[in-house]
Amino acid sequence: MKKILFLLFITITFIGCEKDDICIDETTPRLILEFYDISNPSNLKNVVNLKIKGVGLTDDLGTFNNISKVELPLKIDDLTTKYSLILNSTGVNPNEDFLQFNYTHQNIFVTRACGYKTIFELDAFPTGVIKTDAATPDGFWIQDINILTTNIETENETHIKILF
Amino acid sequence: MRHISKFFFSVCILLLSFLGNAQEEIAVKPAKGVPEESANKKDSIPPKKERYGLRVGVDLFKLTRSFYETDYRGLELVGDYRLTRRHYLAAEIGNEDKTVSDDQVNFTTKGTYLKAGFDYNSFQNWGNMENIISVGLRYGVSSFSQTLNSYQVYNPNPYFGESPVIISGENFDGLSAQWIEVVAGMKAEVLNNIFVGFSVRLNRLVSQKRPDNFDNLYIPGFNRTYNGDFGVGFNYTVSYFIPLYKATVKAKEKAIKGKSKKEKKK
Repeated sequence: MKKILFLLFITITFIGCEKDDICIDETTPRLILEFYDISNPSNLKNVVNLKIKGVGLTDDLGTFNNISKVELPLKIDDLTTKYSLILNSTGVNPNEDFLQFNYTHQNIFVTRACGYKTIFELDAFPTGVIKTDAATPDGFWIQDINILTTNIETENETHIKILF
Repeated sequence: MRHISKFFFSVCILLLSFLGNAQEEIAVKPAKGVPEESANKKDSIPPKKERYGLRVGVDLFKLTRSFYETDYRGLELVGDYRLTRRHYLAAEIGNEDKTVSDDQVNFTTKGTYLKAGFDYNSFQNWGNMENIISVGLRYGVSSFSQTLNSYQVYNPNPYFGESPVIISGENFDGLSAQWIEVVAGMKAEVLNNIFVGFSVRLNRLVSQKRPDNFDNLYIPGFNRTYNGDFGVGFNYTVSYFIPLYKATVKAKEKAIKGKSKKEKKK
């Protein structure tokens, strides 16, 4: 009888033991933009007080200074994501350009802990990335856009080159 | 998982030591069914006979779990047949229907499995007792289907808000898996011909047919899968022994047994 009780005790002890993994794999990637110098296209160029905000949101993604690379999250339940990029946002002559990304997406199984991730494929040129000016036109600060890959599957590579 | 296995096995070892103690106490008394006088006169003990037959039973753990857990239905029938004095042919057949609700995925696995192999009884019984402490091997096969009920995309950068739960309902049929199990178990006769027992199992996947864009996160019979193809199992059985024939214990084996008795007394 004691033995049986002991067995029952063991059984009950182990019912609760299931979840023990943490997601450590790479999951849904962001879009990687890198900034290059228009007068010398092979050289990276740092942005100055670049304020990035998703259109339709009240909180901005951040204001970036002295870096040449930014990561933009894409909407995983939509086919288009539009960002406002304001250069010199804190200066006297801010310049706002809009970038709209059009894409299809797909959910890929990763692991038990991570579940699914979303990967994206930008639409073919010229509709993949569309550049528009601010509501009150202030000219484009973005001179050229170079799509390096349309497959947004990992953050380990640059997807789009922005020349300014 | 390593901690679970460690704990499991240390508990087993603990249990084995309990049983060992219990047997020694009983051993002082004359064996069941042997008259006291003849037990004292060593030479006049009639040749010992042991029963051979088929034992059939059911896994109480799966059965009871079906009652108190709404996401689980399962049944496992177990059986073994005594081949030699120490070897048993053993098999389990079962059916499971389990819904798993993890943080990222919710899915249902349904299927049937069969495990077959052998047990080796390493326990020295006294008198006419038929208790078993065994180690064994099984080869398991399972045929099952999975339904992905819902999932949530893992998004480490939820700038546009938390990802919604996506209702899928996608069905993956015709899945299968094969594996090897190492079994450690014990059975004790509690009433005439009725045994209760339990076993713990370490499983290693040999092969599996995975669904497209999903994985076999639970396999009927194998249980939850972990990275690296390992798994653990457990059952708690009650079974009935159907005696078929009796066989005399061979002299050689008795001699070995006698030797070990003497060693114990030292």
